[in-house]
Amino acid sequence: MSHTNGQHDEQLSNGPSSNYQYQPVSEPGSLPVASTSPPISDFLVQLEDYTPTIPDSVTAHYLATAGLETTDPRILRLVSLAAQKFVSDVASDALTNCKMRQANATVTTTKKGGKEKKYVMTTEDLSLALGEHGVNVRKPPYYQ
Amino acid sequence: MSEPEPSDPLRSCLRMAVSSLCTEVGYDCADSTALETVTEMAQSLIVELGRSARAFCELASRVEPVSADIVLSMVEMGIPVQGLKEYAMRSNRVTLPAPAQTVTAKQTAILHTGNKKRHPGHIQDHLPEMPDSHSYIRTPTHRQPVTDYESVREKAASQKRDVERALTRFIAKTGKIHNLFKTDDSNLFPLISCEKEEEGMKLPPYLDALMFKDQVFEEDEREYLPKKRKSSHNDLDDDDEDVEKKAKLDESLAEVENIDNPFLRPVRLPRPVKTPVK
Repeated sequence: MSHTNGQHDEQLSNGPSSNYQYQPVSEPGSLPVASTSPPISDFLVQLEDYTPTIPDSVTAHYLATAGLETTDPRILRLVSLAAQKFVSDVASDALTNCKMRQANATVTTTKKGGKEKKYVMTTEDLSLALGEHGVNVRKPPYYQ
Repeated sequence: MSEPEPSDPLRSCLRMAVSSLCTEVGYDCADSTALETVTEMAQSLIVELGRSARAFCELASRVEPVSADIVLSMVEMGIPVQGLKEYAMRSNRVTLPAPAQTVTAKQTAILHTGNKKRHPGHIQDHLPEMPDSHSYIRTPTHRQPVTDYESVREKAASQKRDVERALTRFIAKTGKIHNLFKTDDSNLFPLISCEKEEEGMKLPPYLDALMFKDQVFEEDEREYLPKKRKSSHNDLDDDDEDVEKKAKLDESLAEVENIDNPFLRPVRLPRPVKTPVK
């Protein structure tokens, strides 16, 4: 809900308004609007020296299966960066779940902290994390 | 990742990259199922980005994709674009080495014979090579017979000469010879002796040519030897004479000691059959 004091013109005004001012301020309930073209083109220049974790040949192969043939390595790196970021986000969410689970376990069992420092990525944590991203994962607990 | 996956090396490469990302986040280990899930998601994300970017690119009547196409695809999929730069510049990023391209060892053709022809200009290079030249070039292995008159005549003449020479030498080596020179060396210029002495009779040299030289049917035929008759020149019996040729070995024969010819052994006279006299 946005409070209008009458001092600012909202970008969510209904209908055409003559004195419509473009406000890049992000308000609750409004979408953040930002011009993306300059940063991305600047970013592309930086990408020339950057090697993402996913190798270029792997990305190129998978893009080729989709029909995207390109000779520009920056496009490849942009795509692989996007995939990497997605994986990192999911993994960090799953790690958070794992830590919470461990914290709950240590609290309930009343043992000394640091029972288990190893973090294991399990399917349960992963499915929780992916659920927040809109992907439903259901795996059977055992294979037949 | 204990078992090897040679079926898709790129997929295993992607899985390695994903696992390194998880390690970077803070994980120590992971379920194989969970790892496979994340890898599958990453692959499908890349493919979907590519497909959608291509669609945007073609929508704008372009052939080469541009960064704006990728950005549009990300926006359409709901991936936030803002955090990319900060993410790229993170400090603890891990870079994997590029997967090495192992060259598949070219199978050397075992039965490589001829040279293969190059591809003609209208054939792409990625198509298979031309077959070996021996598979479509046929060379007959027999020589065509020489049919011109001169060479045939010449060949016949030389063969006839060789046959005559070989035959005379054979008879000279295995039969009675005259020596042309008065030396003991009887190998030079042997002349086939044309005299045949049969128990004091001089038989004409062409007798062997006249008589049948078939095989000896019975040993008993050897007893039919010509008696010592002066007038028996003309009295020649067909069946009696065909064993005479094998009888005489008393004359000097060239190299008779070395020849183990069964036909040239000393004759064994049968016991004389006593005809009952009544």
